[in-house]
Amino acid sequence: MKEIDARGLACPAPVLQTKAALQEENIDHLRVVVDNAASQQNVQRFLESQGFEATLKQAGADYLVVGARTGQPLPQDEPKTAAVAEGDTKKIMVMCASDRMGFGDDVLGRKLMINFLKTLKEMGPDLWRLVFVNNGVKLTIEGSAALPDLKAYENDGLKILVCGTCLDHFGLLEQKRVGETTNMLDIVTAMQLADRVINI
Amino acid sequence: MDFPTDANVLVGLERADDAGVYRITDDVALIQTVDFFTPVVDDPYWFGQIAAANALSDVYAMGGVPRTAMNLVAFPSKTMDMSILRQIIQGGIDKMKEAEVALVGGHSIEDKEIKYGLSVTGIIHPDRVLTKKNLRPGDRLVLTKPLGTGIVNTAIKAGMASDQLSEMVTRLMAALNRDAARIMTGYDISACTDVTGFGFLGHLAEMVSGSGKGVRIEAQRAPVISEALELANMGLIPAGAYKNRDFRNDMIIVAETVPRGLVDIFFDPQTSGGLLIAVARHQADDFAAALVEAGMPRAAIVGDVIDTADEKIWVA
Repeated sequence: MKEIDARGLACPAPVLQTKAALQEENIDHLRVVVDNAASQQNVQRFLESQGFEATLKQAGADYLVVGARTGQPLPQDEPKTAAVAEGDTKKIMVMCASDRMGFGDDVLGRKLMINFLKTLKEMGPDLWRLVFVNNGVKLTIEGSAALPDLKAYENDGLKILVCGTCLDHFGLLEQKRVGETTNMLDIVTAMQLADRVINI
Repeated sequence: MDFPTDANVLVGLERADDAGVYRITDDVALIQTVDFFTPVVDDPYWFGQIAAANALSDVYAMGGVPRTAMNLVAFPSKTMDMSILRQIIQGGIDKMKEAEVALVGGHSIEDKEIKYGLSVTGIIHPDRVLTKKNLRPGDRLVLTKPLGTGIVNTAIKAGMASDQLSEMVTRLMAALNRDAARIMTGYDISACTDVTGFGFLGHLAEMVSGSGKGVRIEAQRAPVISEALELANMGLIPAGAYKNRDFRNDMIIVAETVPRGLVDIFFDPQTSGGLLIAVARHQADDFAAALVEAGMPRAAIVGDVIDTADEKIWVA
């Protein structure tokens, strides 16, 4: 039987130590020793979520959890949140203040912008926020050529923020078809949290 | 212990309420409170905001309006870059500006560990003070912020929370209870407190204890951070939640149908949690809707005050 000594550790460390042990090797029986009731119950919850039957015991100052595998982990055991915690993705925020890219020829600029938004997906999971302000909000309304791509991004979970003041200014509040209507505070906060902000 | 007091102390230490209240005239009473703690998030600017929102909350929980504040700072200036302290204080200042509270002073000391918070003074009409007591049978209970911040913070420490979740919870903790307090003034409210270290049921127990009433909570209606449920089931629960549960065990009866993870969340210590408010039954729906309208999308009716001498909380 695998033994894990997590005495002297505060929550959540005993759970993490148990989790690491289960990831390291295939364990069917284990005994975890902690020195407080809270850690004991946390390890119990963790083991149960991983398909173990957990029995609690007390021996002097030690609190024990004895686990025996009875099945596969419950489906909820791999929270969507866990994968993201790997930490090697960057948070890139792309801010579009215009419906066209660059200056010079506006027809070309509009085409480039559509193509830019389509190609943005190459950033992969690093693409974190897509923000539209000023003339840029026109890309999010009914009839915009960018709409199919933007909707696809949104369906994939990308957060798209659209400036409410700008929509209102152009009288387009009702025509917006993608993204969340947002305010300057949200935009500023997003800028602060982002690892990189790209302005178009 | 014999606490010094006088006839103008409307709410003092013996009440163990959210803040002290002292009558100045027949129309004005002072609300005073102080709170500070060690960092709850890694980002110093957000920590400053959260610590300030948390300290201000005690004034809101009494139904009052905060007016002035003083900084309380402990900082290891010999080993840590002073820019960190500046960011903490900037966070506090920005939160005070948002709350329209004047910063009038403060005090700082050298310490091994960072601590920050505020001493806050607010005002209220002496007849409008809201304490934890005075629950009336039939009142409905309303909670303004979703529960589970302690569990999510534990998961953040464990590296098991996504950036999005951690950002959401940071904002939640930094959100002022000001709008909830402002809206309360237009409704028939009997009692109020803010949900912090004792968790939702722990603070509710303080309201029930000595009230001569009971409370029934509808577990599925309580607003919770949905990810916190998964995290609780994985054992990412702060030790304080278990202490809170064991401390109030005698008062609280939980139906077997309530999932264990949800009960864990109900005892989870909250940082800068929402207000827990008892409102007259016929106004409850309007009141909850007004909170949602004012930018508290998860505000919800969570239970009822029952006419029973048994001072118990039934969770079903």
